[in-house]
Amino acid sequence: MGMNIQETIASPLVWHPQTAAEAWQLKQTYDIEAVYTSGGTLLRTQWESGISAMPQHLIDLSAIRGLNELRVGEAGLVVGGQTSLQSCRSNALLSRHFPMVTEAIRTIAAPSVRQLATIGGNVASSIGDSIAALLGYDAEVIWFDGTREHRALLSEWLHEASAAKRGNERLLLSVLLPFEESLGETPVSNGAEDLTSQMKRFGAYHKVGRREAFTPSVVTACINGVLTCSNVIKQIRIALGGGQTVPVRLEGLEKEISGADVDGQLLRHVYDRTIELFEPREDLFASAAYRKSTAANLIVSELWKAAKDNTKQL
Amino acid sequence: MSEEAVKSESPYVLRCFVNGKEELIDTKPAARLLTIVRDELSLTGTKRSCEIGRCGACMVLIEGKAVNSCLTMAYQCSEKQITTIEGIAVQGMDPVQQAFLEEGGFQCGYCTPGMIISVKALLDENPDPSDDEIAEALSGNICRCTGYGGIWRAVKRAAEGRRQTT
Ligand SMILES: Cc1cc2nc3c(=O)[nH]c(=O)nc-3n(C[C@H](O)[C@H](O)[C@H](O)COP(=O)(O)OP(=O)(O)OC[C@H]3O[C@@H](n4cnc5c(N)ncnc54)[C@H](O)[C@@H]3O)c2cc1C
Ligand code: FES
Ligand code: FES
Repeated sequence: MGMNIQETIASPLVWHPQTAAEAWQLKQTYDIEAVYTSGGTLLRTQWESGISAMPQHLIDLSAIRGLNELRVGEAGLVVGGQTSLQSCRSNALLSRHFPMVTEAIRTIAAPSVRQLATIGGNVASSIGDSIAALLGYDAEVIWFDGTREHRALLSEWLHEASAAKRGNERLLLSVLLPFEESLGETPVSNGAEDLTSQMKRFGAYHKVGRREAFTPSVVTACINGVLTCSNVIKQIRIALGGGQTVPVRLEGLEKEISGADVDGQLLRHVYDRTIELFEPREDLFASAAYRKSTAANLIVSELWKAAKDNTKQL
Repeated sequence: MSEEAVKSESPYVLRCFVNGKEELIDTKPAARLLTIVRDELSLTGTKRSCEIGRCGACMVLIEGKAVNSCLTMAYQCSEKQITTIEGIAVQGMDPVQQAFLEEGGFQCGYCTPGMIISVKALLDENPDPSDDEIAEALSGNICRCTGYGGIWRAVKRAAEGRRQTT
């Protein structure tokens, strides 16, 4: 057996910029002939499946200084875009403070793919399975426009990326996860525990695929919130994605239910509104209707569980 | 540009260390490691199957971590230590290989080099893995023959053997 077809017809030049400014300049110079390349794992999938051709230039981002580490910054945990998903998966700070991100990453591909794949590539693709969990923590991104760094909410960055005509061409540097109110123990996925004596924090991330493990997602769902001891919703974030759908926060629904009691009527409302507001992309394997009801069931059941656990502890 | 960005052109000479030996390989910067080990270095123990990261047949160790060689580009291997299945047994059969033999961890054997590499990476990092950790570590290795029972036993036995010798 010889080389595969992409290797015989194309052999891109690979650039190794040392700074974000150099990387950005290379992209300006070679424009559509060049792609930013982190781990290259999603790009490889796209080249092999014929979704896109191998470009003439790869701009390898791995040598840019300071982007492959995870550190505590002033505003939260800063995850450099070049950090491999497997380093994120095994990072104690990340799993302690943002367990749903760790859980989301655990379900992405397999460890061997995650050695190459980066968090930056996952987010910049706009459809990575880490995104719903990051949205659940109100993550921000730091990106570079050729002159300076910008900080933006991930939800806005994604919104602009899907609106942009030529897709997302902004150079992503890092992901910023703001620490939640309590810096003590934060919730383990699917659990609930003390925020103050009056409040319970709860959260869960789910990925539904067509197999149990090592599978692309059909739906990703994240819920993160705070309940009072009488089951009034004090804070809530709901994020949904999966497959080729760019993940979104259901901010309209979040506003509607903030301050409300979790009871049967509210759960019905959450179900109906999730079906209305979530607009997943369908494919040959799963319809939009299936994805909507899967997402609605996941969110409602987690909210119900959190309220039930809360009542049990009284 | 403030500093000249380094460029890897074709032809490109990859310098890396394969099974402990320095190699200077004329290739292309985006060539796949799978092609390099099999076609340039004739190390055909590394298997080619799906070629898109989904089966694990092409697994190698890069700096001691299991990585799919079909996803890895030449420039990503520059100056790295790469171990193929041939490099696992240089000092006689590795205990992981022995455990696969004793527990019937293979039938046709096509997935086996990749499995051995993944188990080796797992046990080097975590000599006493839980069932969940074993399942996660091997989630990228597909076997179409065994039903995984023999593989599971082999991993357990290899872990047990390692605990007894340390
Ligand atoms: C076998 C297999 C299984 C997979 N399973 C999953 C899965 O379960 N869930 C999942 O989410 N993904 C999955 N993927 C896809 C992929 O591995 C991940 O999305 C990964 O995180 C992409 O990261 P990367 O560093 O390899 O990105 P790359 O492939 O390098 O880049 C991805 C995209 O982002 C752009 N890009 C990369 N970095 C930047 C940056 N810093 N700034 C701007 N643009 C950038 C690239 O130009 C490209 O368009 C799988 C892939 C494979 C091969
Ligand atoms: S050939 Fe590389 S994972 Fe299948
Ligand atoms: S033994 Fe045949 S594929 Fe695993």
